[in-house]
Amino acid sequence: MTKDIRQIDDVRITRDIVQTILKAKKTIRMYPENNPIYLKTIEDVYSRFREFLDYRDELTLRIKQYEILLDTTPVYSNPDKEDNLALFFFKDGLRELTFLKGLYREEIEEFLKIIALDFDREIVDDDVVTLLWERDFQNIKYVADEEFLTEDEGYEDKASETVKTRSATVDEIMKAYTDAFLAEGVNGISIVNLTDKDLQSLVKEMEGDQEGKIEKLSDILFEMIYHIENQAELEDIYRFIRNTMTYSLEQGNMDAFIHIAKSLIRMSEDKGISEGIKKLIHILLSSISSEEMINYVGEIFDTNPEIDEGILLEYKELLDKTAISPLIALLGRLKSIHGRKRVISLLVDLGKMDIQTLAKGLYDSRWYVVRNILYILRQIGDKKAVEYLIDTVRHPDSRVRREAIKAIGELKSPHSLQILKDCLNDYDPSIRKTAVKALSNFGSETAKRIILAKVNEKDFLNREFDEKKEFYEALSKWDDDEIREFLIRVLKKRAFLKRSKHDENKACAAYCLGFIGNRDNLAVLERLRDSKNNLIREYANFAIRKIEYERR
Amino acid sequence: MSEDREALKYSKDIINQLAVIIRTAQIHDIGNVAVVSAIDKFVTSINSLLREYNILTFELLGEFFYFNETRVRYAMEYLLNFDFLAREFKRRDLGSITFSGRIKGEDVKVFLRAFISSPYAQTPYEALLEGTSTIDSISVGPLKKIVEEGDFDIRRVVKKTYFNAVSFTKGVITKIKSGEKVSIKKAKRVVESMVDMILQEEELLLGMTAIKDYDEYTYHHSVNVSILSVALGQRIGLNRRALTELGLVALFHDIGKMEVPPEILNKPTNFNDDEWRIIQKHPFWGVRAILKLKGLDNTSIRTAIVTFEHHLNYDLSGYPKITRSLNLDFYSRIVSLADQYDAMTSSRVYSRIPMSPDKALSVMMERAGTQLDPLLFKFFINMIGVYPIGTLVLLDTKELGLVYGANPVFQDRPRVLIIIDSEGKRVSGPIVDLTEKGEDGKYLRTIIKTMDPNKYRINLAEYLL
Repeated sequence: MTKDIRQIDDVRITRDIVQTILKAKKTIRMYPENNPIYLKTIEDVYSRFREFLDYRDELTLRIKQYEILLDTTPVYSNPDKEDNLALFFFKDGLRELTFLKGLYREEIEEFLKIIALDFDREIVDDDVVTLLWERDFQNIKYVADEEFLTEDEGYEDKASETVKTRSATVDEIMKAYTDAFLAEGVNGISIVNLTDKDLQSLVKEMEGDQEGKIEKLSDILFEMIYHIENQAELEDIYRFIRNTMTYSLEQGNMDAFIHIAKSLIRMSEDKGISEGIKKLIHILLSSISSEEMINYVGEIFDTNPEIDEGILLEYKELLDKTAISPLIALLGRLKSIHGRKRVISLLVDLGKMDIQTLAKGLYDSRWYVVRNILYILRQIGDKKAVEYLIDTVRHPDSRVRREAIKAIGELKSPHSLQILKDCLNDYDPSIRKTAVKALSNFGSETAKRIILAKVNEKDFLNREFDEKKEFYEALSKWDDDEIREFLIRVLKKRAFLKRSKHDENKACAAYCLGFIGNRDNLAVLERLRDSKNNLIREYANFAIRKIEYERR
Repeated sequence: MSEDREALKYSKDIINQLAVIIRTAQIHDIGNVAVVSAIDKFVTSINSLLREYNILTFELLGEFFYFNETRVRYAMEYLLNFDFLAREFKRRDLGSITFSGRIKGEDVKVFLRAFISSPYAQTPYEALLEGTSTIDSISVGPLKKIVEEGDFDIRRVVKKTYFNAVSFTKGVITKIKSGEKVSIKKAKRVVESMVDMILQEEELLLGMTAIKDYDEYTYHHSVNVSILSVALGQRIGLNRRALTELGLVALFHDIGKMEVPPEILNKPTNFNDDEWRIIQKHPFWGVRAILKLKGLDNTSIRTAIVTFEHHLNYDLSGYPKITRSLNLDFYSRIVSLADQYDAMTSSRVYSRIPMSPDKALSVMMERAGTQLDPLLFKFFINMIGVYPIGTLVLLDTKELGLVYGANPVFQDRPRVLIIIDSEGKRVSGPIVDLTEKGEDGKYLRTIIKTMDPNKYRINLAEYLL
C-alpha cells in the first residue's frame, strides 16, 4: 500500500470511528449494560478502533470548536451548537484525544459511558476532562487547555514581579554568607524513620475514616449553635441541619438521620440553649413527621429489604401523630411488600394516638390502602374505630368488605352486631361467610339469634353448600339446648321438595354437631351413618370422628 | 483483563519480594532457610512473568521504580520496602536490574552475595557489576541521573499551575463575596492540575509554596496548604480521586476568612481581644460559606468539616471551642499540619513573625502529640525533609544554598540550589544532590549550618519565577 492510499484509508476509518462514537454516545444511555444493542454498540466502536490500531501505534484526534481532525484533515465537522461532538469536547478545554495501540474494550466502554453522561443535569459535578482524569486510562490520553481556568491573566506576571523586587540584594546575600559562618551548627538533627507499625496505624486510621461524615457534619452544626450571634446565623444553621436531615435520607442513611434526630432531642433538653433556638429545634423535630421526610423514608423502605429492626424502632419513636396522613399516602405508593409492612407497623403504633386521622385512610380511592387501614385498625383494637368502619362494609371491593367485617367482629362494639347482620345479606357469598364467622366470634345471645334467624329463612335452603356449612359451623359456638334442638329438627326433617337441598342442610347440621363436640350427640350422628345420602354419611362420620378424637 | 495490567501488578510484588530477600539476606546467611525460602518464592514469581515477557527490567529513576519503562505504582503496605530498595540501589549507584531467560535460585544467590558486599567496595556499582558477571540471566545497570534538560519548560508549567490556582482562588472568593455562582467543576480542574504536578514534579510545586513574599497572602496560603496537603496525601498513598478531594477541601479551608474585615486581616500589629474573637470565628463562617455554595455531597460535607476543624488541635484544644468530644477528621489533621507549617513560615499571619522552615518544623515537632497528629507528622517530616524546601544552608564546601528538593530516603541530604559558591562568589545554581559521593565513597557535600532565609529576604523566587 502506498503512503497516499494508506493516508486515505486512515481518514476513512477515523471518520467511521467518529461516527460510531457519535452514535454510541446517544445509544448507550438508552439501554442497560446487558442489552444486546448496548453490547453491539460497544463492540462496533471497539472493532473500528482495532481496525485502525492494528496498523498504527496511536490515533490522535485534534479537537477544534466545530471540527475534529486527523492531523490536518477534518474527519468530523458540524456548524451547529446542538449535538456537536467537537463542541462537546472543546467546551471543557479538551484539545486532543489519543487512543493507543493496546486499547482495551473496557476502556472504550468506560470512555463511551463518560461521554454519554447528561452533563446539563445539575447532578453531574464533573466535566469530561475531570472524568477522563479520574479514570486515568492506560491507553486513552488527552490534552486539555487549562487557560480558561485562569481568572486573572495578568496575575502571574504581577505576583512574580512583586516577589522579585522584594528579593534580597547581592549585599544581603553576601551578608547572609558571612553570618552563616558564625551561626550555630546543625548537630543533633532528628531524622524520623517510618516503621511498619506506623504504616499499619495509618492504614487503620484511613480505613476508619470512611464512614460517618453526615453524622460528623451534623455534630459540627450542633456545635455551631453555641456560637450563633445573630438571627441570620441561626436561620442558616437551621436550614443546614434540615438539609443534612433530608440529605441523609436521600442517601438512604437512616443511621445518620436517627443520629441527627437524637442530637436535636438532646439540644431541645439543653438548659444552655435559648428558647428561640429551641423553638426552631422543635420545628425540625416536627419535620421528621412531615410528608417530605416521610416520602424519603418511604423510598428507603421500598428499596432496602434489610433495615435493622433497632433503627426502625428508633425511627418510630421520633414520629408524632402528624405522620399518620403522610404515612397513609405513602402506603398507596409503596411497591414492595416489605416497605408496606414497615409503614403498617408504624401506623399501628401511631394510629393509637389519633384514630380519627387514621380512619380517614378508609376513604382512600385505592382499595388496598383501605384494606391496610382496616388491618391496622384491627391491630389497634380500639372499639371507637367501629363507627368509622360502617361505610367500609359497603365498599365496592369485596376484599375491603371482608377485612372490614373481620375488624368489626374483633372490635365487638355495640354497633357491630347490626352491621354484621346487614352483611349477612351481602350479594357476595364470601362476605356473608366472613360476616357469620365474625358474628360467631361475638358469642353473644343476640349474635346467635341473628344467625339462627338467617338459617331459618326460607331462601337459606337454596344457598350454596359451602356457605350453609359456614353458617352451621358458626352455630357450633353455642353448645346449648336451643341449638341442639334446632339441629335435631333439621336432621329429622322430612322433605319431598328440594330433597337434595334439605340433605345438604342435614349434612351441615351433622357437621355442626361435630364441632359442638358433645358426646350426647353421638347417638343421633350414629343413626346418620346408614343414610342413603353420601353427603350426610360423610359429614356424620366426620362429626363422630371429631367427637371421638376430642374425647381422647 | 489485560496482560500489561497483570504484569504491573506482579512487578509490584516482585519489587517487594526483592526487598524482602535483600533485607533477610542482610540479617541471615544466604544459605539460611528464611533466605532460601524467600528466594524460591521470588524465582517462581519472576519465572512466571518471564514466560510472558522475555526480558524484565526494574529501573530506579528519581524516587520511582519502573517496570519495562512503565512506572510501578504501589499501595501503602509496600511503601517501606520500596523506600528501602530505593535506598539500597542508591547506596550502590545501581540503576536497574534486568532478568532474562530462566532464573535459577543459584543465580539469585550469586547476585545477593555481590549485592550485599558491594557497598563496602570503593566503587560499589563496579563491584556489583563484577560480582554478577558470571550470571547470564541477571544483569545490572548504573543509576541514571535525572536529566535536567527541559527544566525551564517544566518550571514554566509548574509556575502556571501554581498561579492559575492562586488567581482562581482569588476569583472564587471575589465571586462568593458578590453573590455570584462559583463553578465547582473549574475548582476540580484546578486541583487536578495540582495533583498531576505533585505526582510528576513534586519538588518544583513544593518549591513554589516556599516563596512567601506575595501581597495576597490569603490566596497563596490557601493554594500552599492545598499543595502541601496533596503532597502529604500522596505520600500516605491516597489515590488520585482522594487527592483531588483533599486538595479541594484544603483549598477552601480558610474560606471563612472572607468574612473577616480586611482591616483586621491585614492589620500590621498584633490583634486585640475583640479582633481575635472575630478571627476565631472564621471556621464558623467557613462552614456557612461552603454549605451555601452548593448542595450537600461528599466533597462539600468533607470541606465543611475540615473548614470547621482546621484550627482544632489534635487534643481538641484550639478553636472553635466545642462542647462535646469529636474525632477529628483525617483530612482535618492533614490540612492542620499543612496550614500550621505554611502559616508559620509566612510573614503575614497573626503572629507576624515568620519562621525559617527548619525552625517551623522543630516547633511542629514539639507540638506533635498535643496539637498535631504525631503519626501524620512523621509522614509530613518524611515528605518535607529535615531541611524543608526554602531552608538557607551552609555546606561543608563553604557553599551557601537554598534547599530545593527533599530526599525521602535520606532526609538530611536534600537537593540544594547553590547561591554562593565555595569561593564566596554569587552564583545562580547549580542544583546539587547531597547524596552524591566522591570516588572515595564520601559525600561530596554536607549541610553544616542553617540560617533564617527571611532575615535576608532570600528565597527560591529567582530560580522558580
